[in-house]
Amino acid sequence: MLPLRLRAALLSVLILVVFLLAWQGATAGFGGGGGGPATGMDPEYAKLMGLTATTGKSAMPSPVEVGRQLWAVLSDPFYDKGPNDKGLGIQLAFSLARVLIGYGIAVAVAIPLGFVIGMSPLMSRALDPFIQVLKPISPLAWMPLALYTIKDSGISAVFVIFICSVWPMLLNTAFGVASVRKEWLNVARTLEVGPLKRAFTIILPAAAPTILTGMRISIGIAWLVIVAAEMLVGGTGIGYFVWNEWNNLSITNVIIAILVIGVMGMMLDQILATVARLVTFPE
Amino acid sequence: MTQSYLSIEGIARRFQAPGGKGSTVFEDLWFSMNKGDFAAIIGHSGCGKTTVLNILAGLDAPDEGAVVMDGKAIEGPSLDRAVIFQSHALLPWKSVLGNVAYAVASRHRDWSRDRVRAHAERFIEVVGLKGAEHKKPAELSGGMKQRVGIARALSIEPKMLLMDEPFSALDALTRGTLQDEVRRICLETGQTVFMITHDVDEAIYLADRIVLMTNGPQACVAEIVDNPLPRDRRRLDLHKQPDFYAVRNHLIDFLVERSRTFKDGLPPDYDRRRPPVVRPAHLPPTPPDGVRAA
Amino acid sequence: MASKDTFRRFSRLFSGCACGRHRSHAEHDMAAARPAQDDAARYAGAVETAVVQALFPQAAHRRAFLKAIGGTGIAAALAPFLPLGAVTDAFAQGTGAIEKKDLKIGFIPITCATPIIMAHPLGFYSKHGLNVEVVKTAGWAVVRDKTINKEYDAAHMLSPMPIAISMGLGSNPIPFSVPAIENINGQAITLAMKHKDKRNPKDWKGFKLAIPFDYSMHNYLLRYYLAEHGVDPDADVQLRSVPPPEMVANLRADNIDGFLAPDNICQRAVYDGVGFIHILSKEIWDGHPCCSFTASQEFVTANPNTYAALLRAIIDASAYAQKPENRKGIAEAIAPANYLNAPPVVLEQVLTGTYADGLGNIKKDPDRVSFEPFPYESFAVWILTQMKRWGQVKGEVDYQGIAKKVFLATEAQKVMKEMGLNPPAATSKSFSVMGKPFDPAKPEEYVASFAIKRA
Ligand SMILES: Nc1ncnc2c1ncn2[C@@H]1O[C@H](COP(=O)(O)OP(=O)(O)OP(=O)(O)O)[C@@H](O)[C@H]1O
Ligand SMILES: [Mg+2]
Repeated sequence: MLPLRLRAALLSVLILVVFLLAWQGATAGFGGGGGGPATGMDPEYAKLMGLTATTGKSAMPSPVEVGRQLWAVLSDPFYDKGPNDKGLGIQLAFSLARVLIGYGIAVAVAIPLGFVIGMSPLMSRALDPFIQVLKPISPLAWMPLALYTIKDSGISAVFVIFICSVWPMLLNTAFGVASVRKEWLNVARTLEVGPLKRAFTIILPAAAPTILTGMRISIGIAWLVIVAAEMLVGGTGIGYFVWNEWNNLSITNVIIAILVIGVMGMMLDQILATVARLVTFPE
Repeated sequence: MTQSYLSIEGIARRFQAPGGKGSTVFEDLWFSMNKGDFAAIIGHSGCGKTTVLNILAGLDAPDEGAVVMDGKAIEGPSLDRAVIFQSHALLPWKSVLGNVAYAVASRHRDWSRDRVRAHAERFIEVVGLKGAEHKKPAELSGGMKQRVGIARALSIEPKMLLMDEPFSALDALTRGTLQDEVRRICLETGQTVFMITHDVDEAIYLADRIVLMTNGPQACVAEIVDNPLPRDRRRLDLHKQPDFYAVRNHLIDFLVERSRTFKDGLPPDYDRRRPPVVRPAHLPPTPPDGVRAA
Repeated sequence: MASKDTFRRFSRLFSGCACGRHRSHAEHDMAAARPAQDDAARYAGAVETAVVQALFPQAAHRRAFLKAIGGTGIAAALAPFLPLGAVTDAFAQGTGAIEKKDLKIGFIPITCATPIIMAHPLGFYSKHGLNVEVVKTAGWAVVRDKTINKEYDAAHMLSPMPIAISMGLGSNPIPFSVPAIENINGQAITLAMKHKDKRNPKDWKGFKLAIPFDYSMHNYLLRYYLAEHGVDPDADVQLRSVPPPEMVANLRADNIDGFLAPDNICQRAVYDGVGFIHILSKEIWDGHPCCSFTASQEFVTANPNTYAALLRAIIDASAYAQKPENRKGIAEAIAPANYLNAPPVVLEQVLTGTYADGLGNIKKDPDRVSFEPFPYESFAVWILTQMKRWGQVKGEVDYQGIAKKVFLATEAQKVMKEMGLNPPAATSKSFSVMGKPFDPAKPEEYVASFAIKRA
């Protein structure tokens, strides 16, 4: 018997192959894959029409087409043909920069504030209603308000990332801080450790695993939000890329963008997962 | 008696019960210790031993009264008093060395890294953990964890050591070795120790004076037993000491019977401020049935 | 922002001269004393009169106002309310040095934006000394907000939008102006293929129809068309605002039955075989305006020369785009991803007017879309009547005043003349929509004449 990991990998590959074959079959089914215009259509008229209308070609691209286009896109990721047409690498960099700024600010706000909330039952109770109301608001609901008040679409996108990714971190930090074991705090107290040092040497490491769980949820949200926000405000970024290709009804490029978004999101999550493993301690 | 090192002066501690009415764990509690004393406190579960210890540590404050140590009232936790917690309370993200060094660095803020490290290593060696410095608490056995706790407490060289049932979670063999070590270290350094225990033999082996606490609520110190056993007693032949059973029976008798009934029939000369000191030596009582006298 | 603006005007009142054109009262007085012989000064007077007329349409009120302000001068009295100086200056000093060379102009990727877009690849902006970046934008609300927020210096908007913004519908009232219309005609009603036998709007009850935006000619034209056929656009069908790019996808997904949309969207639906062109919008009103070139009054005030150069570039580009022989080349130029991101064959059909209708016929209509920039005030009046008719504005509407203030026909005349073009002599014209004549002088009567209305 092969080891479990190998068997799982084989199964994954098998699922992928079956999926791709099914996809290829479904999209190549009609029209026999090419040839002239459909019977009975005036050739002059056919020239004015797209392949979907003339050959019955599926609007959905086949995996081979996607693969070919993916190769084309990935082999030249950094071209710049004007403000509305840049390579996927550049778009991705724009999105990442926005996410990192918005998320960075969220971290800078959520962790100290989470400490305050976690350490003070008064603040915890006082702020709870606000957090509960603000937390479930969708990024797309924030967008018009941000655009209207901030008056800058780039900063608005960053703001929306901030406001949507701040809550899981805030709540997790507060929870992690509030549930630091009393005895560890007592250790610090008997050693006359000052409040600031106590926060950094006891509470932070003790709450770190919980905080990182929050940070992982938040980076996922931030990455979800950036795509939506960029689709809305446009300009640059992977979300704009999706919108621009949708605009052209280029499903192939939309699928490529979906792939890229998925892989990037996974990478961001993995980075934080690695950090989480570093700060997690067995008890 | 007036110039004692530590003196507990009429402390009381009350908790607010959820129903609204308060409950008094103990009140008007008096007790004192001399420098270099090893005192153990014995009493039934819930009588307030940990509460007393927490007040001595400064982690809790009495509702009435005060504790004076070395001429100063205790107003909060201090590096003068080290606590060995019942649940060892090691920081799980730090190694053995890290845990001890954390305490050392807190004690000596001006020391260099190397000096802190060397100091910590010395105390790790004292508790017999040399070689395990870089292990995390999760990789240690219960006994090893407790040793780290002891090393941490000793490393700050406190004026007083407070121990809350330090050995109760250990198996008999480990407990014995650790008791030996603690006794050795305390004798060598002349450490003042206040220890909570449920184990009568442990109290007799380690403590010079044993404080008997009545059942709560409104617990009080019934009496203080002056340990008649010689200072060079050894754990393995403790039971061969002539006064051993006298003390042991006295303590067990208290736990079984008098801790409950003591308050109902207070002796006429009982003074809360000066609980009676008894020394069950030289008065060999008839051994209880089934136990042969030595 | 509005308050900042107000503050600036007020501070100008106190620190500098009253009309805002001079640094001090002394300079103002000197300027006033000079004989008004140069063009600029005469022009300023005309604009001031026009604005007073706009503000006080009734002669009695106007006389009372003029009497009340006495000798201080109209501009001085109006300075707190309108940056009069700036409007006139923009055209009078239009040939001066350009204040801001690097500009950002927002557009929505539809063929209506052709002059704005093609002016970039075909070099019209640089010809007039400007370095313009044309930025594709995701939707009308975003174009509006980004222009209000000054991320864009000027923008492509649906022509009712600057009117709505100036009136404060859907946003704070911020004075915006339309010095040029982008395009005439160029829209179409497209229906899903399954409705190819339902060519009579009376059969459309229960349809879900999409329009690009509430404040759009598409909305007003579709409502007009439906109502003329006895279909109440609010009761008998469902109208939805859908961003143009999503229209074809929604049509394919059967979420909507059809749309009145800007072009290349309509032709794209045909190209993909999901819809057919029911009628072109010119069959509703031949010569209707659609999109506009728009800038905020604040931008005009701050950069009169830039604004004039920009306007010349747009008018120049429009004139070029209007010529049939250039259309094919334009289609090629604006097809890449940086601009419209659409198949050239689709754009060519829209721009040349030789197109597949989706039902197997090739149709020829060279006027499918036209690029005539002249912003007739009567266009704005008609738009206002429809806003009133469908309940977007309530109460009394100052039709002529708003139209004059937003649609800068007089100014366009001047610039076109300067450029050697032949602008229309009148700033207003009457026209008819589906055979029903519209008299811009009688807007209220026009609104009242409709059987189906919300007013
Ligand atoms: N935070 C608290 N709130 C309310 N009551 C408390 C609190 N802490 C302790 N008590 C009560 O005070 C009493 C004494 O508790 P304490 O922990 O001192 O007992 P103990 O003698 O150490 O018992 P054990 O031998 O089981 O450890 C108990 O009845 C307990 O219920
Ligand atoms: Mg206890």
